[in-house]
Amino acid sequence: MFSSRAEGLALTLPAAVFAAALFLLPVGILLSEAFRTAEGGWTLMGYWEFFSSGRNQTVFLRSLKLAAEVTAVAAVIGYAAAYSIVTLPKTARGRVFGLVILPLMISPVARTYAWLVILGRTGFVNEALVSLGIVDSPLRILFTETAVFIGLLQLFLPLMVIALVSAMENMPRDAIPAARVLGANWAQVFLKVILPLTREGLVIGGTLVFTGSLTAYITPAILGGSKVLMLETLLYQRVTVANDFVSASVIAMILIVMSFSANLLLKRMATARRSRAAS
Amino acid sequence: MSDFLTLQDLTLAYGGTVAVDRLNLSIRQGELIALLGPSGCGKTTTMRSIAGLLTPKSGTIRLDGRDITRLAPSRREVGLVFQSYALFPHLTVFENVAFGLRLRREKDLDAKVRAGLATVGLSDFADRAPAALSGGQQQRVALARSLVMNPKVLLLDEPLSNLDARLRLEMRLELQRVQRETGVTMVFVTHDQAEALALADRIVVMRDGAIEQVGAPEEIWTAPASAFVADFVGFETILPDPETGGALAWRPAAVSLGHGPHTGAVRGVSFAGAAREYVLDTPLGVVKAETPASEPPLPLGAEVAFDLPRETAARLPGTL
Repeated sequence: MFSSRAEGLALTLPAAVFAAALFLLPVGILLSEAFRTAEGGWTLMGYWEFFSSGRNQTVFLRSLKLAAEVTAVAAVIGYAAAYSIVTLPKTARGRVFGLVILPLMISPVARTYAWLVILGRTGFVNEALVSLGIVDSPLRILFTETAVFIGLLQLFLPLMVIALVSAMENMPRDAIPAARVLGANWAQVFLKVILPLTREGLVIGGTLVFTGSLTAYITPAILGGSKVLMLETLLYQRVTVANDFVSASVIAMILIVMSFSANLLLKRMATARRSRAAS
Repeated sequence: MSDFLTLQDLTLAYGGTVAVDRLNLSIRQGELIALLGPSGCGKTTTMRSIAGLLTPKSGTIRLDGRDITRLAPSRREVGLVFQSYALFPHLTVFENVAFGLRLRREKDLDAKVRAGLATVGLSDFADRAPAALSGGQQQRVALARSLVMNPKVLLLDEPLSNLDARLRLEMRLELQRVQRETGVTMVFVTHDQAEALALADRIVVMRDGAIEQVGAPEEIWTAPASAFVADFVGFETILPDPETGGALAWRPAAVSLGHGPHTGAVRGVSFAGAAREYVLDTPLGVVKAETPASEPPLPLGAEVAFDLPRETAARLPGTL
């Protein structure tokens, strides 16, 4: 494409300088904060102190658990949605796909506030439950993990669906009917054909949903509040309320490490399947 | 001979449109049947319903004495070779062929897969990925994958249409050989009359979701039952017959050019190797004729006499 390698490199230089000066450097400084002592030496005390707090442990595990749950449920719903979308005729497919993308065009703040209306004590979920006699008094749904889970799932599900739809569209035409005619039931079709052929999409979608859920701020802040702190809301609280930049830096580092690990883990799971299939 | 595969009043619809309308067909064991027709005639829909990939709106499908109309595809003992071959790209050739056998937990898996690959001449390709094979080889893998399942009926969707001319002939012979050796009942779908004529024991010509004619290749070729079939198998000039009220149809070679009671203007000439093909504008309508290529060509626009002899025409029942 380029007449020489040097020319290609030269073209990437502005972007590289921009990224290094305005992103990598400040992030590096911020992250190194937690490793420094007041005297200028190096230490891991910041991490030790962070993890020795019971509350921090709870928040860490809750964030991890919720992100994993949202990712798993999004994958299940996403596969069903993606399959029904790719089997639609062309025009209907475009329309339904548009509906999937639509929420992404609405501000997450607006979307999350809508859940306040739906899930509140006088919201229609509770109204319906009470009037149907399923419960005697309104349930407390807001400011629970359930509320955060619902909010995050709704927020990030479209990303999973998009990733899986494009993966399924790239499957060979008729691979699914071929497996069915060869005797596979639906579970076998999924495990032996759909899953191995869409694993790249699952890795991409899973990484997006997991990292998104882990690093979302607005949804846990509004739907969980200070009752259901997540790493992200805790980070914000440490900075604004406590002016505690060491904890903030530790949390930021944890978020980065967890995001990368999730991606590596998903990739590993995918390739493990592939090598078994080839043997 | 008893009927092995029967379709009775088979009706299939997509949304509001009827794709196949009350179709009746009986196929004997070991027969090689071609479903022939233009795209949209319902031939692929019919075939997919036999495989169980589409559920009929009404009607029944019986195979070997059993009603399979609403049975899951996996339980029908029907094989299907897809037009796109539909090999599993994440599996080797061996694993593709073994796919169905593994699901059935069959014994002697290795031997059966090797035998299947040997049948289609691909023994040396077991460890390859499907993507590393040519189109013809991929199709033979798909064929082996279906054959090792020992199906009662093997369905093939446009088996030759994705192959180049040379491979097409080779694959045609291959299919005939496999059919001879295994005795499996085969139904294949094609839009190519030459393919149907060359391969099939009987041809089912379809149009708009219904059967237009069923017959041996010779019968379809010489005695088409309708103008549609006549046109489809190369009778390019079809005119009403004033004597019987039916219609007469001529192939280009059956029209004699140079003498006769009619005249027409040459609108088009094309050289087709052994013959030269002419399109004539005449008071009767468009007439297509041909002369041996050895004769000198007629110039465009020339007025030429021609005859439509009754004895070289096929008689079609019914009016146009």
